[in-house]
Amino acid sequence: MQYPDNGGYMIAAYVVAAVVVLVYAVSLFVRIRRLQRP
Amino acid sequence: MSREKAEALARRGTVLTAVALLALAGVYLRALLFTPIERFQGPAQKIFYVHAPAAWSGLLAFAVTGLLSVLYLWLRDRKVDLVAAASAEVGLAFSVIMLTTGPIWAKPIWGTWWTWDARLTSTLFIFLLFVGYQVLRGAIADPETRARFSAVIGVLGLVLVPFIHMTVYLFRTLHPDPVVMKPGAPSLPGEMQVTLFTSLGVFTLLYLGFLAQRYALAVLRDLKDEEAGRAVS
Repeated sequence: MQYPDNGGYMIAAYVVAAVVVLVYAVSLFVRIRRLQRP
Repeated sequence: MSREKAEALARRGTVLTAVALLALAGVYLRALLFTPIERFQGPAQKIFYVHAPAAWSGLLAFAVTGLLSVLYLWLRDRKVDLVAAASAEVGLAFSVIMLTTGPIWAKPIWGTWWTWDARLTSTLFIFLLFVGYQVLRGAIADPETRARFSAVIGVLGLVLVPFIHMTVYLFRTLHPDPVVMKPGAPSLPGEMQVTLFTSLGVFTLLYLGFLAQRYALAVLRDLKDEEAGRAVS
């Protein structure tokens, strides 16, 4: 079956979502670690 | 909350986030490799499996902030204010995903990255409202005034959440109608439904993990400020 050739947009969206989630997760982890230091 | 309890909450939140991130990797695999391609939209339709759950988590986070803001204005409990602020920041992270994946999906399907219709404009508006919420919190030093003023913005955000959901019914818009949160059965084939519901669950788990971490961070920051205040006096 022929589909529209727009797989690049799909990859771009999944990469952007992963980057935002990972950057925020790392940001939370680092900020907590800084406050835990004596 | 004591330092020990806040650190324990931070640890639990980190574990929950890690589990959610692993599950998200599973959602990516299922969506990209094992979910059928939609005939008319092609592969770009699969953006739906991150866009809709991110929108769900973002609006859930803002609704929680709004409800806790109402509760704060009633009880004046500092813990309630801190959880509300934590949820607002987490909501912004999910909103960034919603507002970036949406235009990436719109370009191949609608032929434009953005259009100023009611759904898109109102989601941009709630995002900017909560950016303002964060700026306001950073600008006010007195904790009680900060909590009171930001709670008012939180309540305004709460009013916007159901309005955003209804925009596709109230206005002529390019944005499609809901496929799940609507009267009647979801209008999606079975395999696509499983992927969507799994992703919705994983994004909700991610929200809870982020919320626990962000609240623990706020408590630890408060305790540090208190310790610094005692050291000065």
